[in-house]
Amino acid sequence: MKKQNKISENEDKAFVFRGKYLLLIVLIIYGLFFIGNSQVAQLALHKSGNILMKILPVLLVVVLLTALFNFLLPPKQVAMYLGRESGVKGWLWVLIAGVISHGPMYIWYPLLEDLRSQGMKDAFIVVFFASRTIKIPLLPLMIDYFGLTFTLVLSFYLLVGALIQGLIMEILQPEI
Amino acid sequence: MDKKQGKQSLQRPTYLKVLRKNGLSFLAISPLLLGVVGLVGLFQALVTPKMIAALFRGNAVIDTLIGTLAGGSAAGNPVVSYLLGGELLKQGISLYAVTAFVISWVTLGLSQLPAEVEVFGGRFTLYRNILAFVFTILIATLTALTVQVLA
Repeated sequence: MKKQNKISENEDKAFVFRGKYLLLIVLIIYGLFFIGNSQVAQLALHKSGNILMKILPVLLVVVLLTALFNFLLPPKQVAMYLGRESGVKGWLWVLIAGVISHGPMYIWYPLLEDLRSQGMKDAFIVVFFASRTIKIPLLPLMIDYFGLTFTLVLSFYLLVGALIQGLIMEILQPEI
Repeated sequence: MDKKQGKQSLQRPTYLKVLRKNGLSFLAISPLLLGVVGLVGLFQALVTPKMIAALFRGNAVIDTLIGTLAGGSAAGNPVVSYLLGGELLKQGISLYAVTAFVISWVTLGLSQLPAEVEVFGGRFTLYRNILAFVFTILIATLTALTVQVLA
């Protein structure tokens, strides 16, 4: 019932900019740095610009993906695949999704928030974030730096650890 | 009135309509994302790899904790954590600490905490980060031990 209310609340949400205060605080910090140490501020601005350029294509993919999810999967189905009734398959889905997801963690927040409002379990969000430590495109580099044994052992523990974290989250915050 | 509402809920929106709705959702969250990007840029400008390397003390237990905290505070592409981790290993820093550093670089994020709280709520963020912190140390310890046994 609570979840249903949450869903309808989400659907009726008016357009409101979020994180205005965070952006304002960050702008003030930059302003202070420009006054106190403009070199650091310029470097930070340059680095931020680079990050933004790198994440924009990924962000675009995430927007399209989110729309595709919402188009193909009505809330009831999301709840079926990623909710309380999803079973073992749900755990495997989020584990795989976490491993193949690209880009920084924060660009996935809107998609996960959306899926959460449609019935995705909090435990699955934890699994998704935890399994993201395994980066498939970076595995050859990890093997080069730390060796094959290390990479395999770490990847195994990361996957098991992600599932255990999800299970603990389920105990800490049981779904109603 | 009820009939009209029922009919509307049965109609499936087009992909473009859904895309527009999602585009607006992302636009709404853009100040939050820009704030996080700004913070990450600031961290990268202020915290140099040299500063991170100087934090380690040579004690495996303390260094694992330092590695977890340093990785969680640092920001950027995970490739940087591999490069830095490789250098730290060459400097004699324990595999426990370096592994913790590499894991926490991705799973923990000081600069994205405000956004995580805003999107998922304080309780969820607290639980997730505590779990990630504890499991970073556990996985780092288990990985280093297993690699030592297998070597």
